Amino acid sequence: MSLAAEAFVSQMAAAEPWPENATLYQPLSDEQILLSDNASSLAVQAYLKMCALPVRVSCRANAEFMSPSGKVPFIHVGNQVVSELGPIVQFTKAKGHSLSEGLDDVQRAEMKAYMELVNNMLLTAELYIQWCDDSTAGEISRPRYSSPYSWPLSHILAYQKQWEVRRKMNAIGWAGKSLEQVYEDVNECCQALSQRLGTQLYFFNKQPTELDALVFGHIFTILTTRLTSDALAERVKGFSNLLSFCKRIEQTFFEEADQSSASSLHSKGPSLL
Amino acid sequence: MAAPLELYSWKGDWGLPSVDADCLTVLAYAKFAGAPLKVHKITNPWRSPTGTLPALKTGEEGSVSQPSKIIIHLRKQKYNADYDLSAKEGADTLAFVSLLEEKLLPALIYTLWVDAKNYVDVTRRWYAENIPFPLNFLLPSRMHNQQMERLRLVRGDPMLEPGEELEKELYRDAVECMTLLSQRLGSHKFFFGDSPSSLDAYVFGHLAPLLKIKLPNGKLEQHLSSLDNLRHFCTNILVLYFPTEVREPPTRKMSVFPEGGDFDNEPHKRRNQILSVLVSIGAMLGYAIMTGIVSIKHIRPQGAIESSVVVEEEEEEEEGEED
Amino acid sequence: MGTVHARSLDPLPMQGRDLGVNHDDMEGMETEQETKQEILENRNIVVQHVNIEGLGRTKEDYLGHEISDVFNAKNLIDVMKRSHDARMKLLRLGCFKDVEVLIDVSEGADALPNGLDVTFEVTELKRMTGSYNTMVGNNEGSMVLGLKLPNALGRGEKATFQFSYGTKETSYGLSFFKPQPGNFERNLTLNLYKVTGQFPWSSLKETDRGVSTELNFPLWMTTHTLKWEGVWRELGCLARSASFAVREESGHSLKSSLSHTMAIDTRNSAILPRRGALLRINQELAGYTGGDASFLKEDVELQLNRPFLFGSVLSASLWGGMLMPIGGKPSSIADRFYLGGPTSVRGFGMYSIGPQSEGDYLGGEAYWAGGLHLYTPLPFRPGRGGFGDLFRTHFFLNAGNLCNLNYGEGPRAHLQKMAECIRWSYGAGLVLRLGNIARLELNYCIPMGVQNGDRICDGVQFGAGIRFL
Repeated sequence: MSLAAEAFVSQMAAAEPWPENATLYQPLSDEQILLSDNASSLAVQAYLKMCALPVRVSCRANAEFMSPSGKVPFIHVGNQVVSELGPIVQFTKAKGHSLSEGLDDVQRAEMKAYMELVNNMLLTAELYIQWCDDSTAGEISRPRYSSPYSWPLSHILAYQKQWEVRRKMNAIGWAGKSLEQVYEDVNECCQALSQRLGTQLYFFNKQPTELDALVFGHIFTILTTRLTSDALAERVKGFSNLLSFCKRIEQTFFEEADQSSASSLHSKGPSLL
Repeated sequence: MAAPLELYSWKGDWGLPSVDADCLTVLAYAKFAGAPLKVHKITNPWRSPTGTLPALKTGEEGSVSQPSKIIIHLRKQKYNADYDLSAKEGADTLAFVSLLEEKLLPALIYTLWVDAKNYVDVTRRWYAENIPFPLNFLLPSRMHNQQMERLRLVRGDPMLEPGEELEKELYRDAVECMTLLSQRLGSHKFFFGDSPSSLDAYVFGHLAPLLKIKLPNGKLEQHLSSLDNLRHFCTNILVLYFPTEVREPPTRKMSVFPEGGDFDNEPHKRRNQILSVLVSIGAMLGYAIMTGIVSIKHIRPQGAIESSVVVEEEEEEEEGEED
Repeated sequence: MGTVHARSLDPLPMQGRDLGVNHDDMEGMETEQETKQEILENRNIVVQHVNIEGLGRTKEDYLGHEISDVFNAKNLIDVMKRSHDARMKLLRLGCFKDVEVLIDVSEGADALPNGLDVTFEVTELKRMTGSYNTMVGNNEGSMVLGLKLPNALGRGEKATFQFSYGTKETSYGLSFFKPQPGNFERNLTLNLYKVTGQFPWSSLKETDRGVSTELNFPLWMTTHTLKWEGVWRELGCLARSASFAVREESGHSLKSSLSHTMAIDTRNSAILPRRGALLRINQELAGYTGGDASFLKEDVELQLNRPFLFGSVLSASLWGGMLMPIGGKPSSIADRFYLGGPTSVRGFGMYSIGPQSEGDYLGGEAYWAGGLHLYTPLPFRPGRGGFGDLFRTHFFLNAGNLCNLNYGEGPRAHLQKMAECIRWSYGAGLVLRLGNIARLELNYCIPMGVQNGDRICDGVQFGAGIRFL
């Protein structure tokens, strides 16, 4: 698409209001989705709820391959397809919905930096544990990832995915880390988040931002997902302000929404409450 | 105190103490922390104890090569530039380093190693001229491939192709990142007050190459130059901590648009000749062996129509010529 | 047949490499030979020995069936005829580069006065042949390396390997072919392959990696193919702007299917036939042997040709097909039928008829198409008997429909649906035969019955095809 055409399309997108039939796509929530994808999906759902934008969650076995960037979740709004939290935030901003309008420049810089901290450390650690820890990969990740496929394709795809993640870990220098070091990194990351949050309601005072959505998505999912060992969840549980932060967001944005609409389309399984 | 620490780093140019972002980061941190390092500025990564640069050779624990690990190691040796930081500032350091790695680093890789004009005119040229023979024929292209692969994996897109689309995306992220850093820095001298910390080292390491290396396609440099405080931040660190590098005249006049071939006026001429003779002898021998043992019939390139009878038809033609 | 003279049992010169020449031409060649000696036409002879010389790795027992018929010859003409047939059979095996026939009087102790020896002098193909092609298309190039091992184990087995390395993708194919000794038409093929296809009309990209086994055998007038195929398919969007309907189909799937094809072909030529008919019925059952895709697919093709006035040919064809998903899972975009294009329903864009979403054609689960052609030689017949015979002019009338059926509704509703919204077109144009495998067409088309969403090609349309309506 040429630049002019793209600019035109984004203008068009901005002009159109948020449609009722906006849909979020993610892998099958019961038997397929993995911790890292679930966390990213929950982060996007939380963000859209904070913006009060309705979205229907649709689970597809091939969500990863439907996504234009190969990453889940992605949303289908009007005739636009946008994947991952960052671009979705920009997309909603173009439509006039933003959570970070009230921040000053320094705060916005910090918010973006902390979001990258979550992506850089927490998400990478989740991927590492899923695919590079042999027991987790063998008992949970590979069987779940390949559950929609029949033999022998299931094996091929699962090992292909594992191989791809391991190569990524190699490229970013994580391949040499031990599981314990990764837990230590998670600890360090949570320490930083906890430090930044302090005693505030949200990361930037009283209003939630996309950073809150992202942190909620990851921390909540880590706390509520069963892995081969609870070492990961234990590390996170050490930070009480992060725990209460997650409970607060769950209560404010997910409980209320569930009560207000009797037919809840949200596919939230576990709860912290 | 154990044996003195030895750091292996890429050599500098363009007024930088090193041309490599990771090396710059480590060098800057060492200066900030006052660590007495014995620095080897080399141009052959194979001479490094880990095979990559930068690398820190420690007395008892062997060698470490990733910048983050080197910094942790220096910290353990009580060379800590972050000693005065509060817990919140420590958290901010972690966050902004992540921001750099996620948003600026891919664009830095792209502009130095993937952008064709920059790579051919500057990056490959520099490495080809500085890496000793015969590695200078091997390493630049290998590094190029490695960086491309790294970019693919970091972006999580195996089909990633260099092009306008990708460049636009990466540069948009990088420009946003620089703007955010500039806003965070504000009018301070360093990110956390008056003394430099590890975040300053990381930011310096990633920005100084963009600022100092003169690239034909310098979109990132243009944006960086427009952010006064970041530009001053970099030059300030260079002047304060690397005064010898700045004063040292540029080792070679850098022309953005080099005339003529890369090698004609270089001392590589002789070795090129020898090499080409070797290559051609090798090729001839290889061909002789190939044809002697395996009789693969070489068929002239055909047109666009593929057909399984190609072989037979060609054989006929050849026989016709013999008659 | 006229009188055949032979030069006193001199070795009969048989011209090599006349694989392509018809029997009719052979007759003309043999008749006017000069006579020196007696006419052998009616004299009874006995073929005492049949030898094959020049065998290297080919096993003799494999050839026995092909040449045994020569022993049954009763007179010289018969010997020559049968030897010629045997020669053709030998060449067909794909083991020999050349076969020459020598007929001589028998010699030695047991020689009969009217005894003949027939010797086939064969030249074997090389153990390994290679080929190298480069192909250049729009914005892409590729290099194709081929390696062929004919007669690999001495009994007609053939192994081929093809590897294509392109700017956009690589593909490969490895196949092994094994005929039954003495019955060349009955054979088994094993394939292993990876192919990538791009389908811009659907904004779809497909990569297939698969294995297949194929058993071919003749039965009365028909040829049958039984095939099992296991293929891992990877679908993806060709561009970011692909429609959401295509995006939904993206991802991996495994298809394991059994298929059966029956064909009767009495046409005199596959590309520009003058007479004869073709009936091909293909059925595919996927899902029962594993995999994610389950469906039953039927496809029928019928073509009738009849010579008409002034060297012209009248031809009628009919295609039809149906895909029935089994087990409630919708069919995949890669399995459905497509219609339209320069060699099917002319006047419409390539595969651009029927259900579509945002300009991407999704294919249909049922279709039919019919065509009526009048082929004539080029006006004033330039290049007759040579180059000109590769060309025909034709006038055509095509019609067809492609849609999705609701299988709950029953056959009446289906017929009604297939009869609604018929696309049709007529026009005239030029046809060029490309070898014996494909043809090129340049037509002026007038599309009619165009439905909403169809892409038409009004006026001049150019295209090539292996299968044509």
